[in-house]
Amino acid sequence: MAIRLNLYHEVIKAKALKRRDPLKLSIYVLAAIAALGAGWYFFQLMRMSGINDELASKKAEFEKIEPLAKAARVREAELSAQAQRSGLLEKRIEGRFYWAPVLAELMQIVPREVQITRMGGEISGEGVRKCQITIDGLSAGADPRRVAEDLRTAIAEKFTPNFKDVTSTFKMLEDGTEMVMLDGQQRPTATFAINVQLHTGEEKPAPPARRKK
Amino acid sequence: MKLGKDEIQKLVLGVLLFFGLVYSYFDLLLGPLSKQQAGSRQSIAALGPEISKAKAQIEKARQLEANAESAQIISRQVDAMIPEGSPVAWFPPRIADFFKKQGIDKALTRLNGEVPDKEIPGFRKLLWGVDLPKVEFVPLAEAVAALENEEPLFEIATLQIDASREDVESQRALITLSNLVKQ
Repeated sequence: MAIRLNLYHEVIKAKALKRRDPLKLSIYVLAAIAALGAGWYFFQLMRMSGINDELASKKAEFEKIEPLAKAARVREAELSAQAQRSGLLEKRIEGRFYWAPVLAELMQIVPREVQITRMGGEISGEGVRKCQITIDGLSAGADPRRVAEDLRTAIAEKFTPNFKDVTSTFKMLEDGTEMVMLDGQQRPTATFAINVQLHTGEEKPAPPARRKK
Repeated sequence: MKLGKDEIQKLVLGVLLFFGLVYSYFDLLLGPLSKQQAGSRQSIAALGPEISKAKAQIEKARQLEANAESAQIISRQVDAMIPEGSPVAWFPPRIADFFKKQGIDKALTRLNGEVPDKEIPGFRKLLWGVDLPKVEFVPLAEAVAALENEEPLFEIATLQIDASREDVESQRALITLSNLVKQ
C-alpha cells in the first residue's frame, strides 16, 4: 500500500478554521435578521399607507355626505312639522261638534203640544266634547206634565244612539197659570226646563312619560 | 475553542448591542407604526356607521319628501281657506253674506275674544258673536248645517235660540263661533 502524504494539511486546516469563524457566522446571522426586520418594517409601512388611503377616502366621503345629511335632518324636521300640523288640523276639523244633527233631531221629537220658548247649548272640553243643552218650553194637553215627561224621555232615547253618556233631566217642571186652545179645546199648560248632557269624541291619548335623567 | 478575556468582553458587548437594537426596532419603529395603524383602523371603523347613518338620514328625508305631498294637502287647503288680512275686516262680511245666501237677511257679527291655539302652532282661535235677530227655526237649522259643511274652520261653541213673544213664528238666535286663523 502506497503512503500518501498531505503536505497542505496546515493550509487546509487554516482555511477550515477561517470558514467556521464564529464572528463571521454571527455577522451573517445578524445581517439576515436585520434584513428580515427591515423587510417586515417596510411591509408594515406599505400596509399603513393603504390604511391611510382608506381613511382619507372615508373622511372625504363623510365630509361630502355630512352637509347633505345635515340638510336632510333640517328638511325632515320641517316635513314632520308640516305633517303633524296637517294631522292636527284634520283632527280638529273632524272632531268638531255638529249642531245641525242635534237641531234636526229636536225638530223631529218636539210634539205639537209643546212650544219651545228658549234653547241654549254649549260645547266644552277637548278630546271628549261635552255638550250641555237647556230647553225651556210650555207643554199643553190633558196632562201637560206627562207631555213634558214624554219629551224628556224622547230626547234621551233619540240622542243615545249617536252620543255617549246622554242624560236628560228636568231642571224645572211646574203647572202653568195660562190655558191654551188646542184642537178646539182649552187645555192646561205646564212650563218646563230640561237639561240635556251628551258627550262625543274620543279621549285624548296621554302625553308620553318624560324620561328620567 | 477557548475564548480569551478580550473576546468575552466583545461578545458581551455584542449581545448587549443586539438587544439594544432589537428593543429600538420594536419600540421606535414598529411600535409607533402599530399604534398609528390601530388609530387609523379605529377611525375607519368609527366613520363607517357615521356614513351609514348619514346615508340613512338622506334616504329617510327623500322618502318623506316623496310622501309629503299627500300630508300637506290639508295644510294647503286650510291655508287657502283663510283670507289674507285682518279677520275683523273679512269675517263679519263673510258671515253676513253667508246668512243672506241662506235667506237670513240680518246677521250682526262682533269679535268676542281671541285665544292662542296651544295644539296647532301658528294658529289662533277667534271667538265671534253672531246675532240673528229674526230667524225661523227651520231656516236657521238649515243655515247651521250649511255653515258646518261649508266652513270646516268654524265651530259653533254656543247656540241660543229665544222665541219672540210678539211673533211666535220667528226667534232670535245668538251664536258664538270659533274660527281658526293664522297668527
